[in-house]
Amino acid sequence: MSHPSQDNAIESGRLIRALIYTLLIFFVIYYLLPLWVMVANSLKTLDEIRGGDMLAPPKDITFEPWRQAWSKTQIGVEATGLKPYFLNSIIMVVPAVFLSTFLGALNGYVLTKWAFRGSNLIFGLMLLACFIPFQIVLIPMARILGMLNLAGTISGLILVHTVYGLGFTTLFFRNYYAAFPTELVRAAQIDGASFFQVFWRILIPSSGPIIVVTIIWQFTNVWNDFLFGASFSSYDSTPITVALNNLVNSSTGVKEYNVHFAGAILAALPTLIVYIVSGRYFVRGLMAGAVKG
Amino acid sequence: MRERLQEWVPRIVLAPSFVAVLIVVYGFILYTGWLSMTNSRMLPNNEFIGLANYTKLFGLKHWSIALTNLAIFGTLYILISSVLGLFLAILLDQQIRTEGFIRTVYLYPMAISFIVTGVAWKWFLDPGIGLENTMHQWGWESFEFKWIKDRDFAIYTIVIAAIWQSSGYVMAMFLAGLRGVDNEIIKAAQVDGASGFLIYRRIIIPMMRPVFLSAFVVLTHLAIKSYDLVVAMTGGGPGRATEMPATFMYSYTFTRNQMGVGASSAIIMLIMIFSIIIPYLYSEIRVGADKR
Amino acid sequence: MASLTIDKLIKSFGAVEVLKGIDLEIEDGGFLVLVGPSGCGKSTLLNCIAGLEKTTSGEIRIGERNVEGLHPSKRDIAMVFQSYALYPNMTVRGNISFGMEIRGVDKAEQENAIQEVADILQIGELLDRKPSQLSGGQRQRVAMGRALVRHPQVFLFDEPLSNLDAKLRVDMRTEIKRLHKRMGTTIVYVTHDQIEALTLATKIAVLEAGYLQQFGTPDEIYNDPNNMFVADFMGSPSMNLIDGTLVERDGALEVQIAGHGGSSISLPVPDGAEMRKHVGGPIVFGIRPEAMTDPDGADRTSPHIETRDCYIEVSQPAGSDTFALTPLGGKECIARFRADARIELGAFSPISFNMTKAVFFDPQTTGRIR
Repeated sequence: MSHPSQDNAIESGRLIRALIYTLLIFFVIYYLLPLWVMVANSLKTLDEIRGGDMLAPPKDITFEPWRQAWSKTQIGVEATGLKPYFLNSIIMVVPAVFLSTFLGALNGYVLTKWAFRGSNLIFGLMLLACFIPFQIVLIPMARILGMLNLAGTISGLILVHTVYGLGFTTLFFRNYYAAFPTELVRAAQIDGASFFQVFWRILIPSSGPIIVVTIIWQFTNVWNDFLFGASFSSYDSTPITVALNNLVNSSTGVKEYNVHFAGAILAALPTLIVYIVSGRYFVRGLMAGAVKG
Repeated sequence: MRERLQEWVPRIVLAPSFVAVLIVVYGFILYTGWLSMTNSRMLPNNEFIGLANYTKLFGLKHWSIALTNLAIFGTLYILISSVLGLFLAILLDQQIRTEGFIRTVYLYPMAISFIVTGVAWKWFLDPGIGLENTMHQWGWESFEFKWIKDRDFAIYTIVIAAIWQSSGYVMAMFLAGLRGVDNEIIKAAQVDGASGFLIYRRIIIPMMRPVFLSAFVVLTHLAIKSYDLVVAMTGGGPGRATEMPATFMYSYTFTRNQMGVGASSAIIMLIMIFSIIIPYLYSEIRVGADKR
Repeated sequence: MASLTIDKLIKSFGAVEVLKGIDLEIEDGGFLVLVGPSGCGKSTLLNCIAGLEKTTSGEIRIGERNVEGLHPSKRDIAMVFQSYALYPNMTVRGNISFGMEIRGVDKAEQENAIQEVADILQIGELLDRKPSQLSGGQRQRVAMGRALVRHPQVFLFDEPLSNLDAKLRVDMRTEIKRLHKRMGTTIVYVTHDQIEALTLATKIAVLEAGYLQQFGTPDEIYNDPNNMFVADFMGSPSMNLIDGTLVERDGALEVQIAGHGGSSISLPVPDGAEMRKHVGGPIVFGIRPEAMTDPDGADRTSPHIETRDCYIEVSQPAGSDTFALTPLGGKECIARFRADARIELGAFSPISFNMTKAVFFDPQTTGRIR
């Protein structure tokens, strides 16, 4: 009725507002501190890190640690830098995200617009699958991958990430399509559209937001995964998270903190960029991931 | 004939996903359950030994360390993340001009891999080069912070890092909840004469009950599964001081060649998670059905 | 109990002025209804009275007291909200007593007050329920109970009935009116429903686009509208606003109105200096549907009835009456016939115009020509 009122939250005095801002800024610093530490120290020489103040900005900026981390440092047995592992991650992430998103969309479509007897049970089982501790599937999955000749391959990891991503992608699309007017589907059917025509021509064109949310969610999860990467990859299919951990926790040689920090930023960069570019969708994914049945 | 086919298309489309989930989730759970009752060591075998692995598991010192750590970690992590998340959400709900920016900052750790978080905090808390050293450089010579190297305190450093990673997420959940509060209720409370503090304490925070519940479930789930962060920060050490069920399962299964014990620990983890998730999902779905 | 005075009230949100100088006054025990379409500023005005929004300039007085800058709880008001705004985590009892608890009223007194309003509103058996367990009508009663228990100087109602279904709305309307009679407290009531306004109010303020269009008794608002907006907004079906031309014939003024096809009718217009300025120009002839009837249904007490033949296109039986649609001045006009009046469609029939109810507007300014 009235204009959207701007000032109906609880009013507070000037002193309290100053306190609120102080606290907010304090926490901004708290959250940014580790990132600052990583960035600042990835640009320092090893001597400067050892001799000095971790919180201080670099005195002489050097990009050598970045070069080292990207293409020179020794990970495992070979001195290749993180580059090949970064590429492994990309080759793994793209198909896994695409496949699980596509299947999730189809599943959501069937579960909402073509519900049949038992489809709710199927959805319940798929939803519950989102929450299992993955430790429980490690042993049999390793065996199955071996039987399929996919052990230690990127294809194997794609398969793993696709099937374990299905629960969430299905959940996202199901909840989105549940709010999609069924009348539109009925109208298209009366116009003679088949099952797939309805999907491609009616549902998909209006699924933009949820596709973005799902892709971001899956991308973040698959890129950041460590457990599956550590369990099912071999030296030529290792994803970047595992390579970074190997780099940082290798017990041999001098600890090159600056290279570790540069490597950590490299590993974080793709998801960070996605987050900064489309944070709104990222947050929506997180919220949907917090389960709305 | 064609009509009948049309009728089956949806089921055929859903089938591959469903069958895949049935096998790789439920089939595998059963298989792991079976393994937990066999004498499997480096490789699976089918020699049935009943619940012997479970007896053994609960007799292991490592496992009790892991459970104790999970209890400490879980309690502090859930409690502090929830309180901090709610606190930050309330602060941010006061018409803050730069809210968008601040929210982005609070939430970005959630976009980062636990491994990266682990690396950052591992070196930041490292006495040799991190916080302690920095304080010494700043002239505070007596400052000491060696928790990450200390058997009794290392687990708390993992709590610190984990809270850093997920409290922004909890904040976002609470913020969404606060934004959902009907403005008229706040107005009504003002007309009733309640102060800002009282409105939060008596009316708004009690209304956040469902958010507390969601946050509790999400955080519990993350706590029980937490593996990456421990591996990256401490590798379960010093000694086995930061062992958690997830790292225990991995090391017993893949490096100690005690697959049967590893499988039984995985089953225990599953039981822990499901005992929280299933009642939650059940009530969520029931509430959802009531609304319809 | 107290009167309420609003003086040159202006409210802006940033650069947007939502209330552009409102002057109102309601006497002690009066029932003021603020009515207008969505976005007219009526809810903002109510929030300003409540102190939930700061005024930009102007003055609000409750009784003799200027309430500028006073916290809502210090203004001696109570408010009923559109969404009822019941505290979901408290029982009905808790909702009603929350304000008293904050003011530090002692327990026994609280309990007496709760029982008193529970009796008045017949919500005694609901006291230990949570709001989520109540029906819409019950929530409405609880919201009113929470307001009643304060014994305020002024009650504020913000569209309290708009979330109820049609039947319940009529019942609650009666109930509010009865309550007002019984308590005698000053009420300010916001609604977009003009029927609610006409039935409840002792004074109506019609708002539109931040301006007070007219302020008066329901009778004045209905029969003597200030401008075309008020004429059109109040009443259902709304007043016919017919475009015509004012001419002078044999020294008398009349309005010529185009009818069906090439036909036209003309009706006498009361003479006056103001009216004469418009001779030869366009004029809007306003007449309510119930003042356009079949000749047998015309108001026998009216001293001035004019009957003209008009072309009837469509009829809409509505139970107690039948509405006949006739083209006049290029628009469909609605006439209200008796239910059993014989209507021949597609033909000319006589329609009686009750000219004592006719009003005239200047189409340029949309203001009344008196």
